Order: sequence, then structure tokens, then C-alpha cells
Amino acid sequence: MPAFIPESEANVGMVEVFAVASGKGGTGKTTSTMALGMALADEYDVTVIDADTGMANMLFHAGLADADTSLHDVLAGDAPVEAAVYNRFGMAVVPCGTSLSGFQQAEPDRLRTVVATLAADTDVILLDSPAALGSRSAVLPIVLADSVVVVLQPTIPSLSDGLKVQEYATTYGTDVAGILFNRVTEDEAIDRVATKTEQYFEGETLATVPESDAVRAARRAGEPLLAHAPESTPAAAYREAATRLTVHDRPVDPVADRFRSAVIPDHS
Amino acid sequence: MNVPQGNLLRKRVVTDLATPLSQALDASVTGYARLEPGDTLLLDAEGVGVITFEDGVPVVAYHSGADSGGADALADIAVAGPSRVALYELDGDALAQLHDADELRVPPGLPAERLAGDPALAERTREAAPASRAAEREREQDGLAAVEQFLDDGDRIADIRERARDQAATRAEEWGFDLPGT
Repeated sequence: MPAFIPESEANVGMVEVFAVASGKGGTGKTTSTMALGMALADEYDVTVIDADTGMANMLFHAGLADADTSLHDVLAGDAPVEAAVYNRFGMAVVPCGTSLSGFQQAEPDRLRTVVATLAADTDVILLDSPAALGSRSAVLPIVLADSVVVVLQPTIPSLSDGLKVQEYATTYGTDVAGILFNRVTEDEAIDRVATKTEQYFEGETLATVPESDAVRAARRAGEPLLAHAPESTPAAAYREAATRLTVHDRPVDPVADRFRSAVIPDHS
Repeated sequence: MNVPQGNLLRKRVVTDLATPLSQALDASVTGYARLEPGDTLLLDAEGVGVITFEDGVPVVAYHSGADSGGADALADIAVAGPSRVALYELDGDALAQLHDADELRVPPGLPAERLAGDPALAERTREAAPASRAAEREREQDGLAAVEQFLDDGDRIADIRERARDQAATRAEEWGFDLPGT
């Protein structure tokens, strides 16, 4: 049994871990992660983690570009998890650094410990996941999550990649929480596309989020969309999506045990 | 489909197939692009996609793994994901015979729609297409219509899902994941 999680953290509690994922880059995963997190934070204790350790960008969305300690330091074994947690916008935010050396020194498998540790003190964890399925570390957030939110653009490459994400997730025992159409620019046919897409996905359509200048302005301001433009159309769509996400009560499972269970053999 | 060897213009790994398509368009390349899945570990990485261009506008598409041509080939290329792309210049005469193969032809903007999901690039490509291809342009479905057509092809989507499941299971072994229920 791995020794890195103190028994005291194996609380009986409720936590739902969502991986926010897409096979293709540029779909707005980080915007979506932050927006869903803020919307869920009205009701739950929420922790968002930038698990895209190779192409991190949550720090720019959360005004944490100058953060001293990031997930890279934790994954390198140089800092405790708590040192990389920042309370911002009503959530606990765990940003990741952007340096190549930070990425190289990070030990991806430690993400499991990070999730297990943070799970003890939060209701919902959102993992901003890499836009790739090509390596063990890229897939790890999907493996660790209870369910995956698949972020799609209504294009053939994005749908094709989203389907692959779903099949990886379900093969690894992770549910599909729902699909989120993002950056939608053409709306007259999107309902038909959404309906047709739903038949191939195991989760419902959580929302259709329009392409919007508000999203770009929020990013430039270093703020999540729901803080920068709470009244905007995409912000409303994300709030709607959050209401459709099911946060399961998991009172029986010792939380930490779920993440150190047999899914990933311990190599230490 | 046999394409004579052309002069290599550029070769790179791309995550977005809009890049080589827009490069070919902007440089008015006559020749072809050879698209290989970037990750040879992928089980669906078998085969190579080829798209030819005349003055930057796509003319035919072929996928060697699926032995598919035209719009079907584009779907096979799209499914393979991020690619190593090599762009070659080749004399138009060397492509003429190939371009007569109706079963391989693609409407001008379709590669940008299908491979890049980039309607603006598709429109730019259609505008650059010669008058002789007006009929093809007319037949082309753009934007979400192309997406709907893709979604109506249940067999193709079932195939994508099945291949991804096989891939995930194979990789679980390589990566040392224990699958649930095993």
C-alpha cells in the first residue's frame, strides 16, 4: 500500500472528480473548467486543478501568472500540495507552471496523491486535462476522475476526438458526465447537431456555449469568464451546464482509497 | 493511387490540419500533401493520406490504409488525428491523370471543413477555386451541414469508437493500468 497518504486524510466524505477533456486543443477547456468551477462554487466547495502539465494555462485565466509555487513544484516533490493551492474567485485553484524544466522534473504519477489529498477537503474537483491521448501522463486525469466532461466544438475533427476521449474514459472505468458544445458560431443548425451528437455520447448535452468576445476579454484581464462578464451569454450557458452536472454523494468510500485503488498499480 | 515524387517544400508535425491547408493555399502550391498520423503507436495509424492541390486548391484525396477516396478519404484522415505533414510541389501535368479520377475528387473547401473544422479557411479556398470547379462548389455542404452528414454516418462513428476502445485497452497494458473488472 502506498505510504504517501496519511490515514487521517482518508475521510469518509463526498467528492466528485470531473476531468474536463477534449481530444483536440483550442476547444476552451480551461475557460470551461474555470466557468463550471465558479458556477458550482455557489453550492459546493470547489477545487480546480490544472492537470494539463505540459501546456498549462490556468494561471493566466486566474490571475496567478506570478504564483510562486505551482503544481509542477508539487509533482517534482519540492513542495507540499497546500503550497500550490490559491483561494481565488470562491474556489481553491491549483495552477501549473509553464516552464519546460518544471514539466521535465514533474513526476506525473504524483497527481494521484494530489487529487487524493485535496479530495479530503472539497466537494468537487475539476481537472483541466491535456488535449491528448497519446501518453500515460496525458490520460492520467481521465483515469483519476469519476466522470469526464467532454468539451466539443461542432466540427468533425473535434467530434471525432471527443468520441475517442469518451471511449478511453469508459474503458478506464470513468463515466461521461456530459458534453459541452463550446465556441459555437453558427446557431441555426446547432440544435440538430447537438441532438445527433448526443446519440453517440453517454452523457447529455450540458450546454451550448457561443463564441464570444467576452471570453477573450476575460482571458486578457486574467479573470475567469464568470468573474469578468457574469451577465454575458456564455456565462449564462456555463451556469446552466453546471446545474446539469450531477455531484454524487459518495459517503461510503474512504475518499483517498478511491484514488490509490487498483486502477493504477503503484510503482514506488 | 500512385503519385510521382515531388519536390519537398516543407515537412512538420501539426496538431491542426488547417496549417498545411492554409500554407498550400497561400503559396498557391500545385502538388500534394502526404499526411501520416504523428503517433505511430496508434492502432488506427495504419496508412497514409494524400491530398493533391492545384494552385493551392485541393483536388483529390486518398487514404491508403482504408483504400478510400474523396470525402471518405477525408474522414479517414480526420479520424487519424494530428499528423506529420509533408508538402510537395509537383508539375500539374504529372497530376493530370490522377485528377481525372472522379471517385477521388473532393470539392474545394471540403478538406478545410472536414480536416480542420475551419469554415473560414474553407470559404477562402472556395473563393480561390477556378470557375471550372463552380459545379463542385455548388454541391459542397459547408459548416454544420458537413458535420450533420458526418453524424448521420453511424457506421463510421461506430468504427471510430471501436478503434478507440481497442486502442485504450492495448495502451492500458503498455502504460501499466489495470482495467476495471480485470
